Amino acid sequence: MSLRLLLMGAVLLPWLTGCVNATVDQMVFNSPTAGIGDASVVILGRRHASDYETEPGFISCVGGHIEARDPSIRVIDELEFLNALYPWFEPRTAPLRPSDLEKLFEHRDVAEKFAALQTRYMIWIDGSTVRGDSAGSMTCGIGPGGAGCFGFGTWSDDASYEATIWDISQRAEVGRISATASGQSYMPAVVLPIPIIAPVQGTACDSVGDQLLEFLSHTP
Amino acid sequence: MSGSMTTAPERGLWLAALVLACLLAGCGTKQVVVESEFPDPVMNPLPLTLGIWYDDDFANHEFFDEASGRAESSWLVNTGQAQVELWHTLLRGMFRQVVFMNGKPGPGQMNPLVDAVLLPSVDELQYAIPAHTNVKVYEIWMRYRFQLVTMGGDPIAEWTMPAYGKTPTAFMQSDEGAVRLAAIVALRDAGAHFATTFTRVPQVEAWLNSLPRAGGQAQVLP
Repeated sequence: MSLRLLLMGAVLLPWLTGCVNATVDQMVFNSPTAGIGDASVVILGRRHASDYETEPGFISCVGGHIEARDPSIRVIDELEFLNALYPWFEPRTAPLRPSDLEKLFEHRDVAEKFAALQTRYMIWIDGSTVRGDSAGSMTCGIGPGGAGCFGFGTWSDDASYEATIWDISQRAEVGRISATASGQSYMPAVVLPIPIIAPVQGTACDSVGDQLLEFLSHTP
Repeated sequence: MSGSMTTAPERGLWLAALVLACLLAGCGTKQVVVESEFPDPVMNPLPLTLGIWYDDDFANHEFFDEASGRAESSWLVNTGQAQVELWHTLLRGMFRQVVFMNGKPGPGQMNPLVDAVLLPSVDELQYAIPAHTNVKVYEIWMRYRFQLVTMGGDPIAEWTMPAYGKTPTAFMQSDEGAVRLAAIVALRDAGAHFATTFTRVPQVEAWLNSLPRAGGQAQVLP
């Protein structure tokens, strides 16, 4: 009987998730008139702020989301791009405005690298997921007879991201997408803690990824 | 029953002892050896042959911070190997030719023929972890001192340059891993800062302009 309960728990546990609310805003100034063809896209995280950084995991999540749903779009890995163009996209040196690209392209080697990578769009994502209020308490103990926890904990997560799309050939910003998501996670514990996690960052990733996909997959 | 078997209470005691040992180990010295590969810079090399001399303090650079209380850990951050790797890769991409010196430039020191010799050093290194600042970011801050000298050891230029790297807590599981990553970010920042400002250091700029073959073509665009 207890084995059956454990097995049921193991099957059901991954499906236990908290609720997430997400909001997406999109502004497109200049939609592409066709798909991006053989060109590639690079998604980069902004890392200028002193108290947070756009998570590399979020950037790869958005890239993976786009590639998984439209395999014709080639998304260059962030670290691969940063290494290929070192030192011009480090936090200290990265262009902050599309017009800064003009100055960057004065370097012949940089222009050649961009040509080799066939990068059509550069997408900058700025934001982070932060842990909000938490409540509850949990006590864990260990003794000769075994170990266990008892209690209840809950916390909220808030994600806020903004993606800015630059058209490299036009040196212009062509779109802006923002997504916010918030959710409450719970962790009751009776001997074993049972995490019921709200996939806040994952929801924000899907929201941003879907909007970018709509932009990049656009065909007349 | 085999003599090597333990009863459930004994196993519990061993487990408790193991957990206690792990907790106590957390109060010891946390050692971080920074190791990484760095990318070649994308830039037009300056038409110069640059000599490099790393002194032992630089090549084996380490930073030790002793714990101020029993609840805190001491930190030993070793960046020497990564420093050499970074500067070797960066300078090799920034200059037409890079040559390692046999000894510190000075009168009577036999060295290969070069246009100038660069002597980098780390003046200061500071770190901050969330336990110190209550901000969920691990930070490394370094101040470099560079000396550009002639083969005879006469000074051409001397300047300092800061570098900064940070890692949010969410990225890493351990303090050591986060400090290591922050140090790598700081080293990459140092390379980026040096590569984009070297020719704009006033004394270096004056020296480059004084070279008969420079004629403006040695400039790295800012």
